[in-house]
Amino acid sequence: MTGTEKIPLFFLKTSIFIMMFLWISSVSLLSQGREYSFNSPGNICYFKYLYFAPDSDYAEIRRPFIFILGSENKTVRETMINDTLKDSPVYRNYTFVYLPNNGTTPGEKLGCTEALVDLLTYNSKYGNANLFFQVNDTAINSNDIEANGLKKVFKSIRLQSGQEHTFAAKNDTAGVIPEFRETTLEYKPDKKVEVDQAKYYVEDENNGEQENDSLNLSPVKTYFGPPSALKYTLTGLVHDQLTGEVLPFTTIQVEGTTIGTATNADGLFTLINVPTDTSTLRVQYVGYGTTRVFLTPESPKKNFNIDIKPSSQTLKEVTVTAYKDDVVFVKRSEVSTITLTPVKMAQLPSIGERDVMRSFQLMPGISASNESSSGLYVRGGTPDQNLVLYDGFTVYHVDHLYGFFSAFNSNALKDIQVYKGGFESRFGGRISSVTDITSKEGNQKRANIGADISLLSTNIYAEVPVGDKFSSFIAFRKSYQGEMYDMIFKKFNESSTTEAPDVGTGPGRKFSQSNEITSYFYDLNGRFTYKPTQTDIISLSIFNGTDKLDNSFSSDIPSFGQANANFSMNSVDLTKYGNIGSSLKWSRKWNSKLYGNTIISYSNYFNNRNRSQERTLINPDEVSYSGRSGVFEDNDLKDYSLKSDYQLDITDFTQLKFGVFATSYDIKYSYAQSDTAYIINRSGKALLAGGYLQSRIKLLNDKIQILPGVRVDYFETSGSLYYEPRLSISYNLTDRLILKGATGRYYQFANRVMREDIMSGSKEFWILSDGNSVPVSSSLHFVAGISYETDRYTFSGEGYYKRINSLTEYSLRINASPMGVNYDENFFNGYGYSRGLEFLAQKNSGRLTGWMCYTLGDAKNHFDAYSDTYYPANQDVRHEFKAVGMYKYKRWDFSANWIFATGRPYTAPSGAYTITLLDGSTQDFFTVTSKNSVRLPDYHRFDVSATYKLLMGNRGEKKRRELGSVSFSIFNLYNHKNIWYKQFTIEDSKIIETNINYLGITPNITLSFKLR
Amino acid sequence: MGKRIIFIGLFLIVVLTACTKRNFSEFTDSPIIESYIQPGDYLNLRVSRQIPFSSDVEYSTDDINVLKIKVTNGTKTYNLTPLGNGKYIDSTIVVKEGETYELSFTFNSKNVSAYTRIPEKPLNFIQSDFSISVDRMDRTFGPPLGGPGSMPEPVTLKWDNDDESYYIVVIENLESILDPIRDFGDDGPPGNVFKKPPTSSSGLQLRPQEFQYFGKHRLILYHVLPDYASLYSEKTTSSQNLTNPSTSIMNGYGIFTGLSSDTLFLDVIEN
Repeated sequence: MTGTEKIPLFFLKTSIFIMMFLWISSVSLLSQGREYSFNSPGNICYFKYLYFAPDSDYAEIRRPFIFILGSENKTVRETMINDTLKDSPVYRNYTFVYLPNNGTTPGEKLGCTEALVDLLTYNSKYGNANLFFQVNDTAINSNDIEANGLKKVFKSIRLQSGQEHTFAAKNDTAGVIPEFRETTLEYKPDKKVEVDQAKYYVEDENNGEQENDSLNLSPVKTYFGPPSALKYTLTGLVHDQLTGEVLPFTTIQVEGTTIGTATNADGLFTLINVPTDTSTLRVQYVGYGTTRVFLTPESPKKNFNIDIKPSSQTLKEVTVTAYKDDVVFVKRSEVSTITLTPVKMAQLPSIGERDVMRSFQLMPGISASNESSSGLYVRGGTPDQNLVLYDGFTVYHVDHLYGFFSAFNSNALKDIQVYKGGFESRFGGRISSVTDITSKEGNQKRANIGADISLLSTNIYAEVPVGDKFSSFIAFRKSYQGEMYDMIFKKFNESSTTEAPDVGTGPGRKFSQSNEITSYFYDLNGRFTYKPTQTDIISLSIFNGTDKLDNSFSSDIPSFGQANANFSMNSVDLTKYGNIGSSLKWSRKWNSKLYGNTIISYSNYFNNRNRSQERTLINPDEVSYSGRSGVFEDNDLKDYSLKSDYQLDITDFTQLKFGVFATSYDIKYSYAQSDTAYIINRSGKALLAGGYLQSRIKLLNDKIQILPGVRVDYFETSGSLYYEPRLSISYNLTDRLILKGATGRYYQFANRVMREDIMSGSKEFWILSDGNSVPVSSSLHFVAGISYETDRYTFSGEGYYKRINSLTEYSLRINASPMGVNYDENFFNGYGYSRGLEFLAQKNSGRLTGWMCYTLGDAKNHFDAYSDTYYPANQDVRHEFKAVGMYKYKRWDFSANWIFATGRPYTAPSGAYTITLLDGSTQDFFTVTSKNSVRLPDYHRFDVSATYKLLMGNRGEKKRRELGSVSFSIFNLYNHKNIWYKQFTIEDSKIIETNINYLGITPNITLSFKLR
Repeated sequence: MGKRIIFIGLFLIVVLTACTKRNFSEFTDSPIIESYIQPGDYLNLRVSRQIPFSSDVEYSTDDINVLKIKVTNGTKTYNLTPLGNGKYIDSTIVVKEGETYELSFTFNSKNVSAYTRIPEKPLNFIQSDFSISVDRMDRTFGPPLGGPGSMPEPVTLKWDNDDESYYIVVIENLESILDPIRDFGDDGPPGNVFKKPPTSSSGLQLRPQEFQYFGKHRLILYHVLPDYASLYSEKTTSSQNLTNPSTSIMNGYGIFTGLSSDTLFLDVIEN
């Protein structure tokens, strides 16, 4: 039990680390007001004053100013603290200037005021219309004001001496004190500008940098008047300005406050307790940068539409104002959550296809060294422990072409969130992590088509809106068997092709070509959305990703005539696998506080494999058995689900989410060695149902956010209830420094059981827990983290410990007992743990952006069947370092990444022997001792890519429309031979070790076109 | 900038600490046993040594040619006679159907043991036809004309198998001069024996295209035990799935299994 003993030490280290950060950061806690010096020491008018804008908009000077002179013997800070005006929301758009009460005579006290006012309000177009003065010093009267010439400086002045007013605290609803009432200029609402439905590239002569055209400039504040509503609830929608699509998981914050929220999957948001209707909203979304939205009293309070643009369109704003555009959006107050959008993903390097799963593998805590899996290995978990949700339904298989590409077409996706651990109660059924994918609804404004052509696949999409209530999106991608496909395909079939003679030689070639390998993959994504009312959305989503892998050397028709085609012509090796799923979702905003959606969905994972025994090759030199016996494998998983999720925003600091769900599983797995004889034939049907309740509570002026929750599952097979309590906490120590922590229990009922088999390409099958030989697996998570953000950089660190119980592995070896066959014994149960530390540093703005991350990990398993002690799990990687850089230059986008990872563990043979079979042929066997005791060499590779924008119009024109792009990429640039696994053979009484490598240097080119 | 330096430092630590030891799994000198025992045969076996993965390993000083191997059938214990070259036999034990045999000996200070039983002789082993017609083919002619209608019928073999136990069929050409069905081209002629994989069904089909030569063939149906059938599914040669083969042998490897057989004959004739 070495693992558990080490936990306290591990956590001790983590907490020391966190404590250090706490100490360092506590220095900068004072953030109320800004202190400035007027003149320098020695000057007669030298003093320090405080400058405070309640809405934090310090940049804007076209706003009312209230200067406040403190009472006698009060410091500036005391004056500010005692002042209650600044706390009233009606003054949110005002600026307060607190002056010290220096000197003894009124002249000394007031003498320098005019000079300061001039300085601070220079260039104000209001003149003195909105300058106010309040004197708290009882000794100063109106004559003193007159004597110091301040009467004409300010519009009105409130005095303590002999005045009718007292300075009692004004409550929120009292309104502005008459003397301080703002003089407003005539308010001109924004002119409605018709946004051109196309992306433009604008050459800037000065610095050669891409710039926005005049229409795309960031909005400016046009309203400077008083608010008409205070502390109200604002609901609305966030859209992409170009396509009109709603944007999920966008964060919206009221500037200068901690009031904030995020849009839901339908792009809807509710902001409770917005201080005034003149507040400024900060809208932030990955790939879209930060957009400021200025509310006015005329802005709708309900169904307020916010349009934002991808940041490639608003680069100027990004660089000039240094508002960051997060590269990897490590979510501020969420634990272990990262976000990616295709807009952002387009800039990352890839093996040739923009691939969402590959992009996530560049993030900390997600392993990048497994080229043969698109599934995510998150924090020592396996891909099947990662819940993949696509528009609400579960996707069970995410691999194309043996895992080198994921089944998700990036053109069809809108948003992807990955929860690496300690995730919320609304997700369940998996013990490691969650990948939540939202697909595109399609352009809401105009029809559009586009296409990508690469060396691997053709990818086309179309988006067609009908009226303003219906939109549709369809994308289709199909591989063709070019060089790149073949190269990867052969990697996986190398071992069998060496046994089977090459078909393409000799006179038989012509005939054999007609039966050539016909492997391909395709995927289809469709989304149809209907919005009958402002508050209802009905959406149908369809996903189909299928691979057909044909390694046959013949069709089923016997090839009598193929004299030279050899007997391998009789071999059939056909695998077809994929995932088909669909969901129908109805979302409704019941009122400003209650939102709900109901999803009915179907998901089907299938994997049919026929590696039949037609092939009976006998070598000319020696009699030998050619490969394995016949394999007929069929895995069929059906998931029918119904779920309802609700969100209730009670107050600005309390939110409730709750829901119910029911899934009917029907999982079949059969394995046969002939058409009739099943070695294993399992079928499981069960109902999984339950509910969850979780709450988001903000405390201490929103500094602390607590998310307690519980999920309860009823699993029909075991007839038991499973309780999953979960909790996550985040603490905003300062605006920039956040501490986070999470814990929770997680259960998994449908398991993918590993069956390592290189030849088949499919190494796993899904089965349902039977509560006995395949128990319900569970895990316990502990996560602690810290993040620090500046405008340009983000740093974050997280530590995790994950305890996993009731793991199942399967061995398809026939039970060796001579007395009988009992296949159930081939399920082995065990337990394990994984732990680690992750660090991320990213640069968010400027021409060069990117990140570096490092993960220290440890994943160990304990299966009695394999070992008496813990041994490294197959996916265990000790050190992983990743660096990603992106650079923009004129029409080019460059990116590069370097990955380094400790080699994975493997089991090496200790010896070997040969057995003569009954027909006289021989077969080699290896003996091993300890499991996974040896490691492959370290994995590392460097990828680069460059994208060049293709433009319409003539050279020299300043503003040209984007037509598409051409991308060049080179995977594994320095052609490092990363070892995938080792193959052992026996030759001349010696064990020969052969390395099977991952992809070497692989260039690719992709052409992308789009109508708009 | 300072942060960059920290990360570069961190990276160097990674690179420097990433060198892991290549400690290969230790080698244990365990014997390899090979023994197929059939009713009517004398009990015999062969003991051999493993091929070590790394060259510097320590072998046990025990001589595999002079082991004291005991076999018991439950009632009586026999000592096997060494024949040299790791082979052992006892000419007093005639293997009987249904009996259980246990063997044991000491090797490398460990007690090596194994057990097996002799399965029943196959019952009702029958064939659908005594001959099968095959077109003679020449590489110059190309594929035969005509559709599937011209395809010769396969021969079906059947036997009783109520308990889904394992069977394998080995097909052997008995002609002294082999008459090839087709031109083997540059690949050279295949051998005269081929086999069907283990099956737990009660029959299988022999297709014309599986045969390489014309003439008389012997079809041997073996009733085998699961440990023998497992030899066919355990050809693990990749580091991703390397495990010890399953066997009933303790402190050793190989195969010690009982089997019984029945034989039929089939003529492959030119169409």
